[in-house]
This record gives sequence, structure tokens and C-alpha cells, in this order.
Amino acid sequence: MREIRLVNITKKFNDELILDKLNLTIPSGEFFALLGPSGSGKTTLLRLIAGFEHVDGGSIFLGKKNITQVPINERKVNTVFQNYALFPHFNVFDNVAYALKVRNVPKDIIEQSVIQILQKVHLEKQIYKSITQLSGGQQQRVALARAVINKPDVLLLDEPLAALDLKLREKMLVELIELQDALETTFVYVTHDQFEALTVADRMAIMNQNGQIEQVGTPEEIYEFPRTSFVAKFVGSTNIFRGTLKIEEKESYLKIDDLGMFKVLLPKHKAWVCDDCTVLMSLRPEKIEISKKKLEGFSNCLEGIVESIVYHGRSTQYHVRLKNDFLVKVFEQNEEHFPQEEIDYDDKVFMYWQKENVVLLEK
Amino acid sequence: MKNSRLKKEFIKERQFFLASPAILWQILFLYIPLLFLIGISFFRSFEYFSIKHVTLDNYKVLLTLSYAKIIGRSFLLAFFNAIFCFILSYPVAYFLALRVRRFKHILLFFLALPFWTNFIVQVYAWFFILDYHGLLNSFFLKMGIISQPLHILNTPIAIYIVMLFCYLPFMVMPIYTSLSKLDTFTLEASFDLGATPWQTFSNITFPLSLSGVQTGFFLVFIPSFGEFVIPTLLGGGKLMFIGSMISYFFLETRSVFLGAAFTCLSGLFLIASALFILWLFKKLFR
Repeated sequence: MREIRLVNITKKFNDELILDKLNLTIPSGEFFALLGPSGSGKTTLLRLIAGFEHVDGGSIFLGKKNITQVPINERKVNTVFQNYALFPHFNVFDNVAYALKVRNVPKDIIEQSVIQILQKVHLEKQIYKSITQLSGGQQQRVALARAVINKPDVLLLDEPLAALDLKLREKMLVELIELQDALETTFVYVTHDQFEALTVADRMAIMNQNGQIEQVGTPEEIYEFPRTSFVAKFVGSTNIFRGTLKIEEKESYLKIDDLGMFKVLLPKHKAWVCDDCTVLMSLRPEKIEISKKKLEGFSNCLEGIVESIVYHGRSTQYHVRLKNDFLVKVFEQNEEHFPQEEIDYDDKVFMYWQKENVVLLEK
Repeated sequence: MKNSRLKKEFIKERQFFLASPAILWQILFLYIPLLFLIGISFFRSFEYFSIKHVTLDNYKVLLTLSYAKIIGRSFLLAFFNAIFCFILSYPVAYFLALRVRRFKHILLFFLALPFWTNFIVQVYAWFFILDYHGLLNSFFLKMGIISQPLHILNTPIAIYIVMLFCYLPFMVMPIYTSLSKLDTFTLEASFDLGATPWQTFSNITFPLSLSGVQTGFFLVFIPSFGEFVIPTLLGGGKLMFIGSMISYFFLETRSVFLGAAFTCLSGLFLIASALFILWLFKKLFR
């Protein structure tokens, strides 16, 4: 149970800079998710921690120990690979026992540990089956068991659920969380799927296309208080408006060209918050109330014409065209069987939101 | 009902007929002659060519130490040739499959280049290298490694050297194929789980390339067993191998029946030893 500290990590592939002076601390014992679009260098980062790739600059610390030059097989870091990378010529038992076998652990202890760990991942009945006889989910569990049997300080998971179907993925996510609770190992989970990251992570880091970390925080912090428009757009969906801040004594406003003035709450202690400064405003679709009627008690209101309606089951997504041609996305929860108000295509609607429910962003 | 199912099967197997010219060719020029050969090994001459003259006399004649020695010598040549080829090929195949990134195709081309020259020409080229006044001896003399030329030509050493050279690609190719199909993530997984490079090689890399090793072994072992040209030309005809023995029976002494029996006997021994080695492979590595 140790933390991982990455200091000024630089990595190039064929003169192309993948990671440039990256700094990140992964706290001990946490379920940490690295979320980013494909090509953001998150897998590279994982491979650097595991030792499969060498850094071109910077250091990696595991606890207080600098492991930058420590070979793969001597790092107390294990990996669950995206394609599982199980040993096809071994059965389940031999795959799981491998980490102990290469350390010459006595046979009876190996057997005990393997049975114990296989019980944890519900595979005790498959112990002597060959790998090819297992389903995708079972192979995934073997890969997990194999990686955790030697009690690593850190477990790295590289998009481990990418090959599974949705239902199984949801089930495995819960199992992963339970396993992490039981083992208290630091889990580093790489994914491009925001749903997975938000579900499993105690804390997460968002990486952008250029291999930089945009924000680190709890899933709630990331979702509710994104610091950049990249984070706001990548995690969940949002509407981004550009406008000018107008700071008055009692109330502050965002002036958006052609749309008017909107009440906002100013974030504290931010250098970029000033009168007449240009900022971005992120407004999440589910934070908007949509109605054909005039409603009271909201700080802000926008008017538009419904352009498309997509029914998702538990919610309905509306696209509303504003008078400046901007398209606003709105999610409305379907709370009733028979909604009191039917909104149809080309209806004129009002969209309401509270000023606390938007986030102002610098870029 | 049964008829229609048969018909379906028949249609499914229609592609079989595309293979029929080759199969016909094989039947006419390999299997029928082979059966004939086996048949005549049980007769003493064409004058007594009927069922009541079937005899094991030919085989009885052959059951002597000198013939056993010839078969044994051929076996050892084939076996050790395959072993030496394996020892030299594995690093080459490993390097080509897992280490080389660029220029892989060029290196593979170089490996296949010997096939562009006629086999006999290659063997003759070795005369110039291994000769008393040849390339190898003059090189060693110049380097000061030896003070007087070595007799290599017309010795078993010459046979082994040239056999190794000629059969090497047959071992490299299958091992290369099986190694390049290897999922390199499994190697990373092995290191990741704490294995040393040697443990990774012996537990993962080598077992997963075993099918290639086995194929290569038999691709070298079986033709080496009956190799005729190399032992005859480079061994100076001093040592008899089964290839030279068979040609001796058929072409020199014209003892066709004895020759047929010897051929069958060698064939049986080859099948038996190949099966034994196959069993050994399974026993050792599973």
C-alpha cells in the first residue's frame, strides 16, 4: 500500500512527444482512474509505471523508493492487460500460480493462495480448466486473480473491461470495487469510458489529447466542478457559452452576444475573474428545466424552438435552437407516465436554470 | 433420406476433386511404386514371383551388424543434424521474430536466398571451401590458428558441416513462424508477474514456440535420414549411409530384392524413430 508519484515524466516515441513533464500523485490505497480520449498517452503512462517502457526524463516513485530504473520483474506493481495476456498453454491454476511459482514459493502455500484468490473472483469451479474453455468474463477474472495473488503495492488495469458486453461490464465494475476494498491495494484504472471511471474511482485524473493532465479530483468534483471546458465536455455532456463578465455590487452577470445577460455566481480567488473578462460558461443539460410555460423562481431563462427530441427511456433529450442559432442540449427526466405538458417539434419553449448550477471556466 | 444426406456430404466435399490431379499423380508415381517395392522385398527373384515363394530371406540376410551400423549411422546423422540445426536456428528465429523491427523482410530474404541456387551447385561450392587447399584452410593458416592444413573434406565433419548449412532454413522458418505468432503481451505479463528473463523464456516463450520446433525438427530429421548426395560427395564414399547403401544395392550390385528389403527396413526404422521422438517431445514438454 504505497502511493505513486510521477515527477516531470517525459516520454517520446520516434521524436514525437507523448508526455511532457507530467506530474501526478496517485494516493496510497485508492481506486484511481486515468480518463482520457484515445491517444492521450494514458496507456503509455501506465506502461511507464509498470516498467514496460522507459522514461526519457523524470522519475517514478513508489512510496519513497525511486523505481525509475528498477526492472519490470522487481517492481511490486502488477498489470491487468486489455487483452488479458493469459498464458494459453497453462490452465487456470497455473496462470494464477505463476507469480508465486517464479518466486519458488512452496507448493502447498501456492495451492492455498490460488484457491483462496479464485474463491474471491468466483472461479473456484474452473480451477483446472484450460484458458480456451473460459468465457470472456471468466478470462478477465483469471487475469485479475493472476495479477493480485502476489499482493502488489499497485495494480494497474488497462481498459480491462473493454472486451466485455455492457451487462457484464457493469457487474465486473462492482466486483472490481469490492476486490479493491478487500485488498486495499492502490488500483490505477485506465479507461476512455467516463461511465466506468465515474463508477469505480475514488479519485480520477483527466488527460487531454496532448498528454497533459487537465484536472485531478473525486468523480463528483470532476463532474460538478470541471476546471476547463475540455473536462466539462469530456466527462458527461454540456453546453458551453462564451461571454463577458459584468461584475456589479449585488449581482454578477455573463453577457452573451445576441442572447442577453445571465446571472452567475463568481468563483472565488481566481485571477481570471474580472470585470469585462471573457470567460466560458458550462451548463449541463440535466440542470435545465424545460417548459412551454412561464415559470417563476429561476435565476435565468432562455427561449428557443425545439429542433429534435430523442427518447432515451428514463430521460428525453431535446435540442433547442436559440435565436443566435446556438443549439442547446436539454435532458428531462421522464418522471410520469402521462406528462402534464407535451413538448413537440417546433414548439417554442423556455429553458430555466439556477445560477448556482453553472460553472464558469477560464478556457 | 440417407441418400440425400450422402448427396449433401458429397457436394460439400466437391472441392476434393480440385485436388484429384495431384492425388492421382501421387498415387501413380509414389504409392503404387511404394507398394510394389514393399511387395518385391518378400521375393528372391522374378523367376519365383508367385505367392508360394513369399519369403523373409532378404530380411534375414540384412539382420547383421554391418547393416545395423549403416542405419544407426544415418539415424545419428539425422538426429544430430536436427539438434545442431535447432541450436543454431533458435537464436536466429528468435532475433528475427521478436527483436528486429525494421529490415525484417530483407533479413528473411537473405535467409531464403540459398534456395535460389541449385542444391548440387551449393554442395560443390563447399568443395572449394573445405578442400585441403581451400578457403577455410588458407584462412586459418593466414590467421595463424593452424600451422598445417586440416583434412576436412571426405570426413564425417565435412558431411555434418554441409548438412547443417543445407538444412538450416528448414528449421529457422517454422520456429520463426511460431515465434512471430506469439502474443508479446504474454511475455510482458510474465515479466510483470516477477519472472526473470530466463524464467520467461523457459516458461512462456519456449513452450509457446514448441510446435515450430517440432515441425522444424521433423523437416530436418526425416530428409536427413535418407540424405544421399551430401554424404556421398563430401564423405568421399568412405562411410555408408542408407542413401548410399540403397543406391549401391540398386545401381551397383543390381540386387533389387535385397535393396527393396533394405529400403523397407530403413523406412520402418525411420517411422519408429520419428514416433519415438514425437513421444519424447510430448513427454518432455507437457
